[in-house]
Amino acid sequence: MQFAPTALTPDEEALRAEVREFLAAELPAGHRPALGFAGRHDPEFSRTLAKRGWVGMAIPPRYGGHGRSAVDRFLVAEELLAAGAPIGAHFVADRQTAPALLHFGTEEQRQRFLPGIAAGELYFSLGMSEPDSGSDLASVRTRATRADGGWTVTGTKVWTSEAHRNHFFAVLCRTSPMEEGRKHAGLSQLVVDLAAPGVRISPIPYLDGSHHFNEVALEDVFVPDDMVLGELGSGWAQVTSELAYERAGPDRWLSTFPVLRAWLRERPSVTDADAAVLGRLAARARAIRHLSLSVARALDRGQAPVVEAALVKEVGTRFEQDLVAALRDAAETELDQGADSLFASLLAEAVITSPSYTLRGGTNEVLRSVAAKALTA
Amino acid sequence: MSGDREMLTEVATGLFGDLCTPEDVVAAEATGWSERLWTALAEGGFPLVSVPEEAGGSGGDVADACALLAVAGRFAAPVPLAETGLLGGWALAAAGLPLPAGPVSVAVGAPGDTVALRGGRFSARLSRVPWGGRSERVVAFADDGGRRVVVSAPTAAATVTTGRNLAAEPRDTLVWDDVELPADAVGPAPDGVDPGALRLRGALARAALIAGALARVTELTVRYTGERQQFGRPIARFQAVQAHLVTIAEEAELAGLAVRVAALNARPDPAFDDVAAAKAAAGEAATVAARATHQAHGAIGMTKEYELGQLTRRLWSWRDEFGSERHWSRELGRRLAAEGADALWPSIARGPA
Repeated sequence: MQFAPTALTPDEEALRAEVREFLAAELPAGHRPALGFAGRHDPEFSRTLAKRGWVGMAIPPRYGGHGRSAVDRFLVAEELLAAGAPIGAHFVADRQTAPALLHFGTEEQRQRFLPGIAAGELYFSLGMSEPDSGSDLASVRTRATRADGGWTVTGTKVWTSEAHRNHFFAVLCRTSPMEEGRKHAGLSQLVVDLAAPGVRISPIPYLDGSHHFNEVALEDVFVPDDMVLGELGSGWAQVTSELAYERAGPDRWLSTFPVLRAWLRERPSVTDADAAVLGRLAARARAIRHLSLSVARALDRGQAPVVEAALVKEVGTRFEQDLVAALRDAAETELDQGADSLFASLLAEAVITSPSYTLRGGTNEVLRSVAAKALTA
Repeated sequence: MSGDREMLTEVATGLFGDLCTPEDVVAAEATGWSERLWTALAEGGFPLVSVPEEAGGSGGDVADACALLAVAGRFAAPVPLAETGLLGGWALAAAGLPLPAGPVSVAVGAPGDTVALRGGRFSARLSRVPWGGRSERVVAFADDGGRRVVVSAPTAAATVTTGRNLAAEPRDTLVWDDVELPADAVGPAPDGVDPGALRLRGALARAALIAGALARVTELTVRYTGERQQFGRPIARFQAVQAHLVTIAEEAELAGLAVRVAALNARPDPAFDDVAAAKAAAGEAATVAARATHQAHGAIGMTKEYELGQLTRRLWSWRDEFGSERHWSRELGRRLAAEGADALWPSIARGPA
C-alpha cells in the first residue's frame, strides 16, 4: 500500500483559500447545496468556475487547460463538493472524458474537444451500461458496422445521466463480432454527438421523480472514423485502464457532507448523543480524506495506486451512505423532500439518492473483487 | 517518514521478530510479561524514545514513539512500551524527576481512582494500571497545596491486586495507604502536563498499537484465505470472503493513516482534534476488522495457538483503553459543535501541517 500522510505546500494552501473565498461569494449562506457531483446541472456556474481556471485543470495549456497537479484538482473538487456547489454540468467531462482523450485520443480529437471542456462549455455523458450489461460490460451489444468514412452504430444505452442536457457521449460498443473466448476483444469507444440524427433520448424518471437518467437509443447513427476514441478495438483496455484510479477522488466520499453541516447548523443544542454522532462521522471523514488525498499525491509522483483507489472508492461511498443513516437515526423525524427545514429536506433527498453512490462508476461488489484480487495477488 | 524513523522501525521490527514470536506471546500470557523482550528493548533504549535526552531519555519525537508502538502492536508485545516513555517518561521528564531503570506505568484515570498528597505522604487507589505490578514507578497527578504536581509513586510501597484485559495484559489495581514518598518522587507539573494531556497521549498510543495490530491482521487474513481451500479453490476467490478482506484492508489503512497524521502533528505534543479523530477511527476500525477477520478465518481463528487471537483480543481491549470510540467521538463532536457549522469542513479538511 502506498498510503502516506500528505501535507499541503504553501501554494496548495493558497489555492484552497482562493477557492473558499470564491465559494463564499458565489454560494451565499443558506443556499440549497447540491449533493455530490451529479447533484445539479448549472452551465453558468461551470463557466464561471472555468474562468477561474478550475475546470480542465488536468488538461495541458496547449489544449486550453491549466496543467495542474492531481492534488490541486483534489483540493478544488473537495471544496466544491463540501460546499454543495452545482458542478453537475461539467464534472463528468472534466473527471473522466478529458483524461481519456488525453491518454487515448488522437491529436485531432484533443484539439476538438479539450478546449470546450476546459471552458466549462462542453459536456459529456458516459455510454457504457445497456439493458443487459451493467457490471459485465464486456457483454455490451451496441454494434458499430463499417460505413463509408466511418461507422453505423445501433443499440441502446441506459442510465445515461444528463444525456438530455449534454453534448456528447462515449459509447462502448462492438466494432467487430464477439469471438468465442475473447469477449474483451473487438470493443471500441466511439464519441457520439447526442444531437446526431438517429439518436433518440427518452427520460427514465429517477427515484425521486427528477429527470437525470435517460435511455439513449441509437438507430443507424453515423459516426465518422475520426470519432473512434484512440485505437480501434482497445475499448476494453480504455474503460478498465489505469484511469480507474483517477476516480477515487473527493466525489466518492463527500456527496452527503452538506447534510451533516445543515444538521449541525439547525441544531438548537447538541446533546451528548448528537455530539457522538457528529464526532464519529467527522473522525471517519478525516481519515478517509487522508487516504483519498494520498492517492492524489501518489498520482502526481507517477505511481499507479490501483488498489488504493479501489479501497478509497469502496469505503468512501459506503461512508456517504453511512452518514445519511446515522443522521436519519439521530434526527427522529419523518422524511419529506418538501420540508421547511433545509436539513430535513436534504436528508430526504439523500435517503432517496444514496443507493446510487455504491453503484455508479462500478458497483462496490465488483470493486471489492478487483481490490481483493490485487490484495491476494 | 524520516530516514531515522524508518531505520528505527526496521531495527525494532527485527528485534520483535526475534524475541516476540507468536509462541513467545503465548508463553508470556501466564504472567503478561516478557522479561527477555523487555531487557532487549531497554538495552536498545526503545522504551524511552520521545523522552528528551537531557532528561535521560532516548530522544526522538512523538511520531517516532508511535512508529515504534505500531511495530509493538503488530507483534502483540507483552511489555509496557507506551507507558514507560511516551506516557510516564514524558511526565517525569517534564517535572524534572529521574527516570527509573525499570518499567514505568501511569494512572489511566479510571472511574473511582483517588489520589491524595499531604505533607509528603501519599495515598492513592489506582485501577486498570497497565503492567502496574511490574512497574518500578507509577506516575500520577496530584494536588499539592494548590499546585499540580507529578508523583512518581514506587510500586514497592503499594498493595497490588492483579487484573487483566481481554488479552491477559496486566491491568492492576494499586493502593498506597499513607506512605512516605522518597525524595525524588514529587515535582511540579508545568502547563500542558496534566491528566488531560496524559489521556491524549494514552489514546494516541493505543491507537498506534491498534494500527500496528490491524496491519498484521490484514496480512494474516490475506495469507489464510489464499491458502485455505474449500469447494476446490482458495476461499479468497469467493466474493463473500473478498468482501471481508477488503473491509479489513480499508479499516487497517484508515486507522493507520489517521494515527500517522496525529503523530506527525504532535509538535511537540499531540493535538486534541487529531488524537480524538484517530482514536475514534481506530476504535471503530478495530471493531469492524476484528469481526471481519474472524468471519474470514472460521474456527481456526478461535483457537489460542493461532496468532490471530493474540491480536483481536488486544484490539477488543485497546479500543476501550484511554477512551472508547464513543468517548472520543463525543469529545470531538462537542468541540466541533462549539465551533459551529461553518468551521466543520475546515476542521475535517486538516491534514499534517
